[in-house]
Amino acid sequence: MSVKAFKLVPAVEWEILMGDRPRINIECVECCGRNLYIGTSEGSICHFLLEEKNSPSEKTPFSISKQLHKYLSVRKAVGELKAASALNRLLVLCDNTITLMNMINLEPIPTGARIKGALMFTLNENPVNGDPFCVEVCIVSVKRRTIQIYLVYEDKVQIVKEFSTREQPCAVAVDGHYLCLALTTQYIILNYNTGASQDLFPYSSEERRPIVKRIGREEFLLAGPGGLGMFATVDGISQRAPVHWSENVIGAALCFPYVVALDEEFITVHSMLDQQQKQTLPFKDGHILQDFEGKVIVATTKGVYILVPLPLERQIQDLLASRRVEEALVLAKGAERNIPKEKFQTMYKRILQQAGFIQFGQLQFLEAKELFRSSQLDVRELISLYPLLLPTSSSFMRSHPPLHEYADLNQLTQGDQEKMIKCKQFLMSYLSEVRSTDVANGCKEDIDTALLKLYAESNHESLLDLLVSENSCLFADSAAWLEKHKKFFALGLLYHSNGQDAAALQLWVQIVNGDIQDSTRTDLYDYIVDFLTSCSDHELVWKYAEWILEQSEEVGVYIFTKRPLEDQEKNSFNPDDVIRCLKKYPVSLVKYLEHLVLEKRIKKEKYHTHLAVLYLNEVLRLKSLGMERQEKLTETQAKLRNLLKRSDLYRVHFIIDKVAGTDLHTECAILYGKLEEHDKALHILVHELKDFSAAEDYCLWNSESKGLPYRRKLFHMLLSAYLNSSTSNPELNMAAVDLLNNHAAEFDAAWVLQLIPASWSVQLVSSFLMGAMREGLHSQRMTEIALSLAKAENLIYKHEKVKLKESPVLLSDRKLCQVCQKPFCEPAFVRYPNDTVVHTHCAAKRLVNSNTNHHLSSSSGRT
Amino acid sequence: MKPDGKVVLLGDMNVGKTSLLHRYMERRFQDTVSTVGGAFYLKQWGPHNISIWDTAGREQFHGLGSMYCRGAAAVILTYDVTNLQSMVELEDRFLALTDSASPDCLFIVAGNKVDLTDACAFLPESEDKQIEKPPNSFISTKVKKQVHVNDAIAFYRKILKYKMLDEVNAPAAEKMCFETSAKTGYNVDHLFETIFEMVVPVILQQKAEGLPQTVDLNNCKTAKNTHSGCCR
Ligand SMILES: Nc1nc2c(ncn2[C@@H]2O[C@H](COP(=O)(O)OP(=O)(O)O)[C@@H](O)[C@H]2O)c(=O)[nH]1
Ligand SMILES: [Mg+2]
Repeated sequence: MSVKAFKLVPAVEWEILMGDRPRINIECVECCGRNLYIGTSEGSICHFLLEEKNSPSEKTPFSISKQLHKYLSVRKAVGELKAASALNRLLVLCDNTITLMNMINLEPIPTGARIKGALMFTLNENPVNGDPFCVEVCIVSVKRRTIQIYLVYEDKVQIVKEFSTREQPCAVAVDGHYLCLALTTQYIILNYNTGASQDLFPYSSEERRPIVKRIGREEFLLAGPGGLGMFATVDGISQRAPVHWSENVIGAALCFPYVVALDEEFITVHSMLDQQQKQTLPFKDGHILQDFEGKVIVATTKGVYILVPLPLERQIQDLLASRRVEEALVLAKGAERNIPKEKFQTMYKRILQQAGFIQFGQLQFLEAKELFRSSQLDVRELISLYPLLLPTSSSFMRSHPPLHEYADLNQLTQGDQEKMIKCKQFLMSYLSEVRSTDVANGCKEDIDTALLKLYAESNHESLLDLLVSENSCLFADSAAWLEKHKKFFALGLLYHSNGQDAAALQLWVQIVNGDIQDSTRTDLYDYIVDFLTSCSDHELVWKYAEWILEQSEEVGVYIFTKRPLEDQEKNSFNPDDVIRCLKKYPVSLVKYLEHLVLEKRIKKEKYHTHLAVLYLNEVLRLKSLGMERQEKLTETQAKLRNLLKRSDLYRVHFIIDKVAGTDLHTECAILYGKLEEHDKALHILVHELKDFSAAEDYCLWNSESKGLPYRRKLFHMLLSAYLNSSTSNPELNMAAVDLLNNHAAEFDAAWVLQLIPASWSVQLVSSFLMGAMREGLHSQRMTEIALSLAKAENLIYKHEKVKLKESPVLLSDRKLCQVCQKPFCEPAFVRYPNDTVVHTHCAAKRLVNSNTNHHLSSSSGRT
Repeated sequence: MKPDGKVVLLGDMNVGKTSLLHRYMERRFQDTVSTVGGAFYLKQWGPHNISIWDTAGREQFHGLGSMYCRGAAAVILTYDVTNLQSMVELEDRFLALTDSASPDCLFIVAGNKVDLTDACAFLPESEDKQIEKPPNSFISTKVKKQVHVNDAIAFYRKILKYKMLDEVNAPAAEKMCFETSAKTGYNVDHLFETIFEMVVPVILQQKAEGLPQTVDLNNCKTAKNTHSGCCR
């Protein structure tokens, strides 16, 4: 509970004051600047000078020297002393009279101005009138239930107000226009300007001495029931929770942020910030406790003591040392308005950081993080707690004085592994949060390197994310650490991000080869392929090409076929080189050629031929293996056919030679087609393969984009092939009928009718005949329409021409050519439809210059 | 920091005011010591700071009540559902304290300790997982409810009458009467959050009017419910 907020130091001891007169008591005390006045029970006033010493380390932080000891005219107790330093006056209440004295020599003023009939009085520390040459004094009069307000000048007094209260006042404090009064049974606030009053709360003055203490602008502290110190504003509101004193409290004083109270045995100190009791000092027989401009003075009847506040920072440090973070922060925050802004901020930041480390030490990470964050802690303070995390090159030094008591994490956790892990997890999450914020400025390397180390050590998946994104990891430190923790894949990434791709690849290849162990990626081979595919260092690609292909021909070839577009555009890999390299890897080679021919559509005979030959060889090889590879065979054969059909670039004769003597009839037919030897091709299809639909297809794809006549020619050839066979073959006849009926439009009907055998019934070819008729009619009508349209168009042009010739064009000397602005000297000219008239040569020039300008050339004439 | 609005808990000692506030702010229930004088918490509610005052129910501190209530935007009159006297006290002793509250002050009636009564439902909101079962199930720890919601509603109507407020304009009684348990947490968040929601417009209005959170002593006519005869 306890804080050491104050130190009790004796100021004036009995001997100095009174020497050997034991029956005399201290009645009241006043302190103003360096002046300390003591009023005694036998009507004397003692004046001391209080000199503060600069070095706070000394036991008594001030020295005291007696100035004067002055007896008043009456030997009665001095009730109250108040200094008005602006007027150089001391107000002395004795025998119900307030006299004015010179503050320094304690002589009564010559005019003898005084206020009579006062039971007690108080000065208004926050007067409204603002006149610097007077003070406002409020007195409780000897007249029953009467309060008076006076203005006191250097040598005169003037009453300004008198009013009565509903009960006898027994204590009073003033602020502005407001009086806070303890009546016999009530505390009230009274606005002496308007007379309005506000009850605060009831209490009994008979049971207990009331306390009314102004604690600041418009706020008072009152002794309430049950030993409560109640706060009340002039509006009659309590804005702070009460402090809890003992029942027999005698006096209260304020020294921000503390409320000090006195009872018969103790001085207690409460914080106004959290209402907690902070300190208790044993103190017997005290009867006065007052604060004077921040100085708290207590007195017994025989001696005066000063409560010296300990420096706030000391108090805060004490609190932090006993891990009372909350209280320390409240205290620090509460001091904000008493300390210059800049100084406060520096101090407060530091306290937040210390508090953060205390929370951290107790593994209260959430709280710690909030404190570190709000105080913008240099993250390295935290990192440096963790052994080996800061890079060896880091220039960081812990702040001095230290923010915490820990040497390192080992000390903090005392070897508890579980705690250690928690601390590390915290640091990881904290660093990853701050690394992209302002806090990281100037120490990005340290943060990222530490983070990398933590990730590596704990097998954290974010290690890779860190390395592949932009980071400031220091190379040497990180590399050594990754190697130590066998994070070879990550090490490769680090090499890569430092521009050392060769080293990275070497490592990864070693991993795939099983020379070193790191299971980070099970698909590391694919990763390397990807890496090389987009690698801009082509020498590296060549260097590892063989190794890559050896692992997998199918995937490995990606390093050539899947290169990024810009790489492909630059053609930085010469296909011939690649093909040479792929010689040993047939699967890859096929894939690569497919890439060249089918994807990139490179129009080079040798690649097309090469690919065709490879397909062909493969087909033949698969055929020789028999049924077992049927599926593969079908697939490859389809590819082969497709290539043969689609490409016009391969060497047809070369392939035909290879196909000849095999049973690849379809392929053979395709090849003949390429050579436009259609009768050979159709012969194969019709007579050898008897594949009629293939034959029809053949006609269709061979005539693609070659126009109707060509297609007709093919279809006629096919029909002839069906019908002209030496032996009448019903199967072929059926095919011929089907062909005719299905493709009526592809035939010249007249020619067909001559060819088909007379024995065929009309019924048989009715579909063909109908189609042919329809087609004939259709084309006749289409032609007629076209003819009529052309005629109509012709007519429109004629009409335009006539219209243009209608009006005469006058050419005179004054008329200028619109192009060259010169007169005409020849009868020939050019007239544009918009009536502009120009020289013929100008028009000719224009026509050359602007081919786009249609209408200018549209008509010309001559008169 | 000056709070924007004030909510005050009133009620006899031991009804559970401190426990309710503790439950809401600290999310816990623990044995409390009898409150001395008063205490308060600051609650951040949206952009507003609301101070919640816990007062002492003891007779000794009764006189302080009206000072705590002065300018209050809402007063929670708290009773103990197992204790009829606690409801009687509200009417006899505490209602008068609200004279000093703000004229548009809201009144809320809260019956606490429902966990003790037989009719009480348990309680989805409860944060205490381990609800104590009586070790011997022959003896029930439940007691009979002495104050029912209807009694609270009747009391709320009395408040309105006392304040000379028209029932039509005031919030509906059903909405302003709560039954809670600080022990289990039942209805506690609901209680406070409903109040905050309702208090915010009052705060905004007070701010808009630029008034202090008090009755202006110089301007008695606006405060229709001050019984003072001191105006000249
Ligand atoms: N069973 C039960 N006991 C409660 C509840 N709330 C408070 N108490 C108990 O009632 C007693 C008084 O509570 P306290 O909060 O100090 O009441 P206050 O005087 O109104 O502040 C304490 O022993 C609490 O543990 C509740 O909801 N249920
Ligand atoms: Mg309480």
